[in-house]
Amino acid sequence: MKQTGQIEKSVVSTDADAIVPQVELESTYVPDVDIREEKGVITVLADMPGVDQQSVDVTVENNVLTVEGRVRTEAPAGYELVGREYDTGRFRRDFTIADTVDTAAIKARMKNGVLEVLLPRREQAKARKIEIAG
Amino acid sequence: MLKLITWPRNAWSIFDELESLRAGMRKTFDGEGSDDEGRRVLSWRSRPTYPLMNVWSSPDGIIVDAEVPGVDPKDVEVSVSGDQLTIRGKVNPERVDRADTYYRCERLAGDFERTLQLPFRAVAEAVKANYRNGILRLTVPRSEAEKPRKIAVEAA
Repeated sequence: MKQTGQIEKSVVSTDADAIVPQVELESTYVPDVDIREEKGVITVLADMPGVDQQSVDVTVENNVLTVEGRVRTEAPAGYELVGREYDTGRFRRDFTIADTVDTAAIKARMKNGVLEVLLPRREQAKARKIEIAG
Repeated sequence: MLKLITWPRNAWSIFDELESLRAGMRKTFDGEGSDDEGRRVLSWRSRPTYPLMNVWSSPDGIIVDAEVPGVDPKDVEVSVSGDQLTIRGKVNPERVDRADTYYRCERLAGDFERTLQLPFRAVAEAVKANYRNGILRLTVPRSEAEKPRKIAVEAA
């Protein structure tokens, strides 16, 4: 078993530039969401103020839905910030989707800083009334 | 995301004024009240701050950015009275009526009202309001008389 002194030396002697952690200059925030279901369609509404259609990404991979938005901060020119109650940065949230959702039919829409994602259930997963024969 | 910053260099901080206004309101609504039907009503201090605002200042005036995603501009009312700027409205009103199954409700829904104390008297007609991507930007210019003017210092 190596002694502590020797282990430290071997760590330090590796190429320091081989892997450098990225410094995140921008904070990432979790958007508030409402999730509801009506008539076989699940709707996710995520509040992402300051995000427009071009700066939002919605991806589905392996039953995980990821929504990500980038905020266009526009500090007005010639003005000085005197009060700040909210910070601006990136929005990101992941959701696990059940197998009963038809991932190929997912639709998304961005309006007024709210992202709406529609997730329809697969046909056979929808509730069906069963007729009772007399 | 909530970060309240008072800038020590400024003698006036817009949020100091807002806090004193809120403290005054708190005294009026102190404790848990009940409305006409006997239901318990949230006291003023339990209500979350909404909308969150960032404020910029310049000799020309003030710009306020308020985060109000998903509202209909018709449901938001901006009014000015002397040196007070009020934003009032309804957010996500349809959530109250819908009969869907909700699995998660994190967004705010209901009526909101917030008043900001300005360091000058605003001219209502000159206030501009712009709603884009869920951010309401209010541009409140100072009147010409209230703009800072340089005063020459004469040698005695």
